[in-house]
Amino acid sequence: MIEIENVTKTYRRGAADVRALRGLSCRIPPGNVTFVVGPSGSGKSSLLYLLGALDQPTSGEIIVNGRRLSQLSRRQRDIYRREQVGFVFQNFNLLNNLNAVENVLVPFLPQGISAARRSEAVDLLQKVGLGDRLDHIPNQLSGGEQQRVAIARALLKRPALVLADEPTGELDSESGAEIYRRLRDLRDQHASTVVVVTHDRTHIQAADNVLTLRDGRLATT
Amino acid sequence: MFRFSLKNLFSRPVRTLLALCGLTVAIAGMVGLFSVADGIESSVAATFGKVPGLTVMQPGAPIPLFSRIPAVWGAEIARLPGVHVVHPEVWTRAHLIEGKPSISPPRFLFGSDLAVAEKLRYSVYREGLKEGRILTAADRGTQHALISRAIADQFKKEVGQTLRVDGRDLEVVGVYECNSLFLDVAIILDIELVRRMGRVGDDSVCNFYVEPDAQVDRDDLIERIKDLFRGRALETWQPTLDALVPNSGPDSNEKPKTIAAQAFLSAISEASKPIKQAASDDDPIEVRSSDDWAREFKRFSADLDIFLLLMTGIGVSIAFVGIVNTMLMSVTERFIEFGILKANGWSNGDVLRLIAFESALLGICGGLVGCLFGWLATLAINAHWPTRIHLYAGPRLLLWSVCFSTVLGVLAGLYPAIRASRMMPMDAIRRG
Repeated sequence: MIEIENVTKTYRRGAADVRALRGLSCRIPPGNVTFVVGPSGSGKSSLLYLLGALDQPTSGEIIVNGRRLSQLSRRQRDIYRREQVGFVFQNFNLLNNLNAVENVLVPFLPQGISAARRSEAVDLLQKVGLGDRLDHIPNQLSGGEQQRVAIARALLKRPALVLADEPTGELDSESGAEIYRRLRDLRDQHASTVVVVTHDRTHIQAADNVLTLRDGRLATT
Repeated sequence: MFRFSLKNLFSRPVRTLLALCGLTVAIAGMVGLFSVADGIESSVAATFGKVPGLTVMQPGAPIPLFSRIPAVWGAEIARLPGVHVVHPEVWTRAHLIEGKPSISPPRFLFGSDLAVAEKLRYSVYREGLKEGRILTAADRGTQHALISRAIADQFKKEVGQTLRVDGRDLEVVGVYECNSLFLDVAIILDIELVRRMGRVGDDSVCNFYVEPDAQVDRDDLIERIKDLFRGRALETWQPTLDALVPNSGPDSNEKPKTIAAQAFLSAISEASKPIKQAASDDDPIEVRSSDDWAREFKRFSADLDIFLLLMTGIGVSIAFVGIVNTMLMSVTERFIEFGILKANGWSNGDVLRLIAFESALLGICGGLVGCLFGWLATLAINAHWPTRIHLYAGPRLLLWSVCFSTVLGVLAGLYPAIRASRMMPMDAIRRG
C-alpha cells in the first residue's frame, strides 16, 4: 500500500516558483494498476517522481509499505530505487553511448553483469520486439523502439513498484497495447504495483485504479 | 563499470583529448624538469662510483681545483699503514683552447705524477682509454696529453695531432672516455707542466688521491690520515680567483678578453664558496671518500630540486585547474546521465566511482603519454648536447610521474563527482 498524505511540491523554474502539488492525499492499493490522469501541469509526473524517490516533497509524507520515504537515509533511498522501483520516463532517458542491451542492463552495471542477467535482458528485448536491434544505440532506434528499451530496463529487475510516465506516448496503438500487456503480466506474475501517468485513457480497464489530478490536487478517485 | 567508463571517454573524444593534453603537457614538463636533477645525481653516482679512493685536500675547498696543500705531506700519508699509493694531483682551468675561451663546458688541466700513477691498481682514465695510449713515466717533462673523447670531438683532434691550450701545443697521445660529465672534462698532463701552467708552486699540490690497500676500512684510514696532521697549521680555503685567472705561458697575452668570460669567472668564484667546513679547527686537511663527494653534490643539487619543484608546482597547478575545469564541464554536461543512473538505482558511491574511474583513466593515460614525451625529450636533448648536459628520466621518476598523474586526475575529478553524486535524480535531470 502506498499512502500519500498532504503532499506538496514546489520547485523553481527560472525566477518563478512552480507549485506542482498542493496538498495531495490519496492511497494506491498494492498489486494493482493505477492510472494517474489529468491535464498538463496538474502534477502527474511530479507525483510519480516523488513515489520513486527521485525527488523529495516540499511537505507531506509518502509511505510505501509502512516506510516513510522522507525518513529514509540517502543510502536507503538508493537501495529503494535500485531494488523496488522500475521507472519509465516520458522521454525514455536512455544513455546514448550504450546499445539496447547495455541500456537495459544499466541498473546492474555497478554490480557487474552476469551472463544470466545479460541473457535475461536479451530475452526481454526480444519479447518487446527488439530482437534484431540489440546492438543498436538510441540514435539508431525510433522513438517507439527507445521507449520499449526503457520499459525493458524498468522490467528487468522485476520491481515491486513500476512507475511509468506516458509509457506509450511515442508508440503506435499495437505497440502501446503490447506494453500495457507486459505491465499487466508483471503485475500478475510478481504482484507488482503499477502506476502509470497517461493522457490516453484507452488502456484503462474496469479493475484499474484511476487518480485524476487537477491543479496539484486530487479531483476524483 | 570499467568498460562503461571507457565508453564514456571515447564517446566524448574532444573533451577527453583536451583533458589528456593538459595532463600530458604537465607531466612531460615535470619529467623534463626533474630529469635535470636526476641527471646530476646519476652522473655523480656514476662518476664517484668509478673513483674508489680517498681525496685529501684543503679544508673547505669545494673541489680540488681550489685546494692547496703542502706537497711533502704526501710522503707522510704514504707511510701510514693501509695506504697503497698516494698520487699527487694538480688541477687548473684550461682558459684558451685552440684560441677560444673554454667556458661552457669548462675544461681542466689535470697534472698527474706519472710515475706514481703507474702504481695505481685502478685509474678511471686508464680504464676509459679508447685510442692511443695512457701517459707513463716516460712522458715526464713532455707536453704529451691524454684528452677525452668530448674534447677530441669538440676540437676535431686525433691521436698524433696537437691541441693548443693556453699558449702551449700539447701533443695528443691518447683519447679516453668515461661517459661522465664530471670526468670527461680533463686534459691529463705531466704534473710539472700543469704546475707551470697553473702557477702552482713546487711545494704545493691541489690534492692527494689515496688508494687504500684492499682490505682496509676506509673510515679508519680517514681517521688515521686526519690524526696524522691534526694540530698542524694550514689556512682554511677562502674563495679566490687565483685558480681561475689566466696563467702564464709562452702566450700569456692570450687571455680571455670578453666581458662574458670575466663574468663567468666571477660567478664561478661566488658559486664556489666552501660547501663544507673542516671537521674541526685542528684539522688542516679534509679527507673525502666517494660517498662524501656524492653527499656534497646531493646537498648542492637539493637547492636545484627546490627550484625544480617550484617550477613543476606552477606547471602542475595550471594543469590541475585545467583538468578540474575540463572535468567540471564534462560532469556538468552529463547531469542528465547521472540523474538517469541514479533513477535506475545507482548509489552516490556508484556515480562517484564512475567519475573517479574516468578521471583515473585520464590520469594514467595522460601520465603515460606525458612520461613518454618527457623521456623522449631527454633522449633527444642528451643526443643533441652530449657534452653539455645529461638528463636522466629513470624508472623511479617515470613511475612516480604516472602515479602522480593518476592521483592528479582522480583529485581533479573528485569535486565535480561529489557535486554530481549528491543531487537528487530529478534535480540532476532538470539541471541538465
